[in-house]
Amino acid sequence: MGLFVFLPLVLPLTAWPMARLAEQRLHPRTATRLLTGVAAVMAVCSTVCLALVMVVGTAQLPGNPLPDGWSDPEVRAAVPYDEVVGKAAIPALCAVVAASARMLWRHGRVRRGAHRALAGLPGTSVAVLPDDVPYAYALPGGRRDRVVVTTGLLGCLRPAERRALFAHERAHLAARHHRFLLAVRLAAIANPFLRPLRTSVTYTAERWADEEAARAVGSRRTVARAIGRAALVSRGTPVATLAGLAAPGPVPRRVAALLGPAPAVRDWPSAFASVGLAAWAAAAGTAVSAMSSANSAVTMFLILRAATPL
Amino acid sequence: MLSALREADGPATAGWVQERLGGDLAYTTVITILTRLLDKGAVTRERAGRSFAWTPASDHAGLAARKMRKVLDAESDRGAVLASFVTGLGPDDERLLRELLDHSRDERED
Repeated sequence: MGLFVFLPLVLPLTAWPMARLAEQRLHPRTATRLLTGVAAVMAVCSTVCLALVMVVGTAQLPGNPLPDGWSDPEVRAAVPYDEVVGKAAIPALCAVVAASARMLWRHGRVRRGAHRALAGLPGTSVAVLPDDVPYAYALPGGRRDRVVVTTGLLGCLRPAERRALFAHERAHLAARHHRFLLAVRLAAIANPFLRPLRTSVTYTAERWADEEAARAVGSRRTVARAIGRAALVSRGTPVATLAGLAAPGPVPRRVAALLGPAPAVRDWPSAFASVGLAAWAAAAGTAVSAMSSANSAVTMFLILRAATPL
Repeated sequence: MLSALREADGPATAGWVQERLGGDLAYTTVITILTRLLDKGAVTRERAGRSFAWTPASDHAGLAARKMRKVLDAESDRGAVLASFVTGLGPDDERLLRELLDHSRDERED
């Protein structure tokens, strides 16, 4: 087996075609669930393999707390012993752990801060803040989930569009979209090859909420207009990362999707369409990733148990 | 009553409100009105010693808005934490968006 342990580190590449195609060809709900699942499994496998490489590669370095037996020739047959790779795995793993912890801490801090800011208001499900800066977002957790919206944004929407806005944010909360988003963000930290999946899920989660809102207000066009109007009044904050790209940003794509026909609801794409092939490729990549990391981990555990007197 | 509360610098007691309104109202009347306003959600109160300190609700909303802006402004990459309704627009996005919306309006008029 040997080199198989490195496979989960690069297998996320198999999910790239699906990340690209699922945005347009799948129902946003299916796409979000599928991509998040793939990203989560691949991130766990890749981290496990990183840890295995680190343990074996560093077990015989002087001053290491690990037993020398942990890089026995037998163990090296399961996980390749390489001092350079093993040493390189230490900072990589530390970086993954530190960045994940930092992300979770920031996430918690913003959510707690937002709930604290709203603490003095009556506990309604919608909190309207008197502020000229137009923004709206869904705030999960706390005593109850809340939709936060400013008078600046409400003021520039028509009544039907306001309903669309509330329906959109409630859809985020009802489907617990923040968990999907958190999962793909952690996955993108664990393995940078998973970043395209994070971008895709960020987009498909918005599309999912858009479709739910369209169903709730009974008009896709109203939701499209609400998004368009909201984006145009809050355009003061351009996204620097998008500046160099010629491709349209997420907002016009969402509006265009809503002005087009409703997406078909299917649980798994047809195997003959290109998105079907991409989905199968991603599924195969995930399966191989899971198998090779599980295989390496189990083999190593068994060898270590036999090799070290406990 | 509400305007008197708004003139107060922070939470005010019922006695302060009564003084402010010119003494025509009995203390118990002031309490009754404040309690009714509390039921309607127009004011809020918090315990201050043996009595209550009253604050107009609109003040709370303004305060909440300022606090929220602080939380959001402190987060350089707020999109990374909260799913906002719309994200920023790229350089060509505005033109594209206006075209799409104009197009959708034309279709409806046809």
